[in-house]
Amino acid sequence: MSAVESILWDDWHVVAELARLRRDGRIATTLLGQALILQLDSSEGGIEVLRKRSTADGYESVGASAERYGFLWVCLGTPRRPIVEFAECAEPERLTASAGSVRVAVSGLRAVENFLDLSHLAFVHEGYLGEQPHTEIQAYAVEPLADGGIIATGCRVYQPKASPVAAAGFDVDYIYAVLRPYVVVLYKANPVEPQRKDMIALLVQPVTEETCIAHMLTCYLPHDAEPGAIRRFQQFIFGQDRPILENQLPKRLPLSPRAEISVRADKSSAAYRRYLATAGVRYGAIAET
Amino acid sequence: MITLYDYELSGNCYKVRLLLHLLQVGFARREIDFHPGREHQSPWFLALNPLGQLPVLDDDGWILRDAQAILVYLAGRYDPTQRWCPREDAAGLATLVSWLSFADGLTATAGLARLHDTLFYAADIEQCRRGAHRALRVLDEHLWFAEQEGRQWICSREAPTIADIACFPTVMLSEEGGISRLPYPAIRRWTDRVRRLEGFVTMPGIF
Amino acid sequence: MDRWFPVARSEEVRPGHVFQTSLLGQEIAVWRGRSGAVNAWENRCPHRGVRLSIGEQIENELRCRYHGWRFASGSGQCTHIPSHPTQKPGAALCATAYSSTERYGYVWASLQPRDDVPSLPPEGSVAVAVTPPVEGAITTLRSVYVAASLEAVAERLLLGRVARLDAYTLVTEAYDTAGVDDAAVANIDSVYWLLQPLEPCATVIHGLVGKLIPAAQRLAGLRAYNARLIGVRDAVELAR
Repeated sequence: MSAVESILWDDWHVVAELARLRRDGRIATTLLGQALILQLDSSEGGIEVLRKRSTADGYESVGASAERYGFLWVCLGTPRRPIVEFAECAEPERLTASAGSVRVAVSGLRAVENFLDLSHLAFVHEGYLGEQPHTEIQAYAVEPLADGGIIATGCRVYQPKASPVAAAGFDVDYIYAVLRPYVVVLYKANPVEPQRKDMIALLVQPVTEETCIAHMLTCYLPHDAEPGAIRRFQQFIFGQDRPILENQLPKRLPLSPRAEISVRADKSSAAYRRYLATAGVRYGAIAET
Repeated sequence: MITLYDYELSGNCYKVRLLLHLLQVGFARREIDFHPGREHQSPWFLALNPLGQLPVLDDDGWILRDAQAILVYLAGRYDPTQRWCPREDAAGLATLVSWLSFADGLTATAGLARLHDTLFYAADIEQCRRGAHRALRVLDEHLWFAEQEGRQWICSREAPTIADIACFPTVMLSEEGGISRLPYPAIRRWTDRVRRLEGFVTMPGIF
Repeated sequence: MDRWFPVARSEEVRPGHVFQTSLLGQEIAVWRGRSGAVNAWENRCPHRGVRLSIGEQIENELRCRYHGWRFASGSGQCTHIPSHPTQKPGAALCATAYSSTERYGYVWASLQPRDDVPSLPPEGSVAVAVTPPVEGAITTLRSVYVAASLEAVAERLLLGRVARLDAYTLVTEAYDTAGVDDAAVANIDSVYWLLQPLEPCATVIHGLVGKLIPAAQRLAGLRAYNARLIGVRDAVELAR
């Protein structure tokens, strides 16, 4: 079995929600095919991360781990760069919370791509993030990011219920950014203060090439939004995406533009696949032939 | 006034919501933070239902737990046609109850497999899936021969009963626990019929 | 394999229902157009690979559950892309349609294009004296799904008084009453056992009785044969 490419191996990935780890004390999970044990060190309150040895029995310590945004992040190799930065989460008036973690039987790259997708909103999330007959997707812009990744701007969708506090339907402006192969964030106009943005990030843990855990991070402007309601709404929406993701074949994301057909509305998904191909991402993907 | 203690992604809660909509009975939802908050295991909820399970029904202060029992109650109290849970014939009622127990068995197998696969619940997943397939085989054979006899539903000829409502959600969500319905064509046709019922509502994972 | 396989009993492919099945690991979505003509498509939308079997039939089209793309019965041509509703989808955009037909009470599909029809006994099969089934004088049994390889299933079926006509077709010789108490299934002329390879470890046994079982005995006959096939299934799965 070949080694996992450095862009993933030497980067940070979420492996658990801290609240869950603090409650359970110990979590067994898998990252990039590696079996991990996450253990609360009861004496010092720290967290120990152990990886199953590949060639012998037992576990060895994984050096690089850190707690950020309510999650435990781990790097199996040597971190090439810091953990992604979400500046909004530092803004004091915002509600920053995890919306839970859900396992999905599909490549995490498919989960990221679904998060970017606009044309499914009127179908999969009908009555909430989209509605017929407002299915037409107007042209939007996609640019590469300096640090790698892509950003899509000028996305606009009519949404009957864009968030738990949306009282009426309106045209919502979106910005999407893929910050890492398995990390994507969206910014959408807040219903009460439309010139400012709510943030939702999907921090995808690649468990194996064909399974992942979607950890959801929300960072909302308060405006009567109750944290429980935000979490429930996010789980509701993701719960609608999950059966679609699990019914995608093949489970890994094909990177060749000929494998699956893109139309103009798929500009960000096509750009995401090109980014992955150029960056040499293979884990969870089917490389171009 | 009916209040339902409820979690959006629970199949057992959804089956009660579904029957309430099919009966066109209004209700309030009290949403419980099942995941990740585990609110169903908090002291205040355990005072309501010591089993720490959802759903729980509050009808003007009268509390009832257990999804299947709630279906029986709602059908008895709020169905003017009395077709959802026919009670005149002892044999018919007993048969219906046997399918409510069957639905409980589905929760313990397919439902638990789904909780394991999606929300990290501890379970012997292979045993859950084996148990689910055994149950689905029984249901598929039952429904196939029912079709041959001109019956469209689990228990009756003309109309669905709470037996169909009790079994439907866990069956429809089975693939979220790694249980494919490809080997069960009669079940797949039956789920189509349930979804076409007037007043049918969905939940995430069911469309 | 380049041949016809039965994939569903015709009466189980109902209008408005998309029948999910598989051949040699390739998933197939089977559904009926408004005219009654049957479609057997690769169970995968060409857009983002979502199974068409979770989609829904709207009039004479199948609509994908993900982005609402629509595909026409017959050609599989994409007719509508909701994200660009005023544009006509390119001619190359279509669902992959396999050859399909109906005969002997079954929908048949072939992964390679064919312009002939399936025949029983199969062409080129071992010369065994069997009565070819006659359309309209047939009873199709409940198809039984077995979690085992086709060869394991065939081996078990061959323990009875069954002859193998080719790799996928077996036949019960006349008057096979071994282990069958029910008079309804005794004295049957012949039963074809048609094996559908779903996947390497999953097989469907389709049973085709070369006689129209009289109405009064039909249900009992179906139940008796079903019990027999369940016995085969359980024995094969236990032996794995």
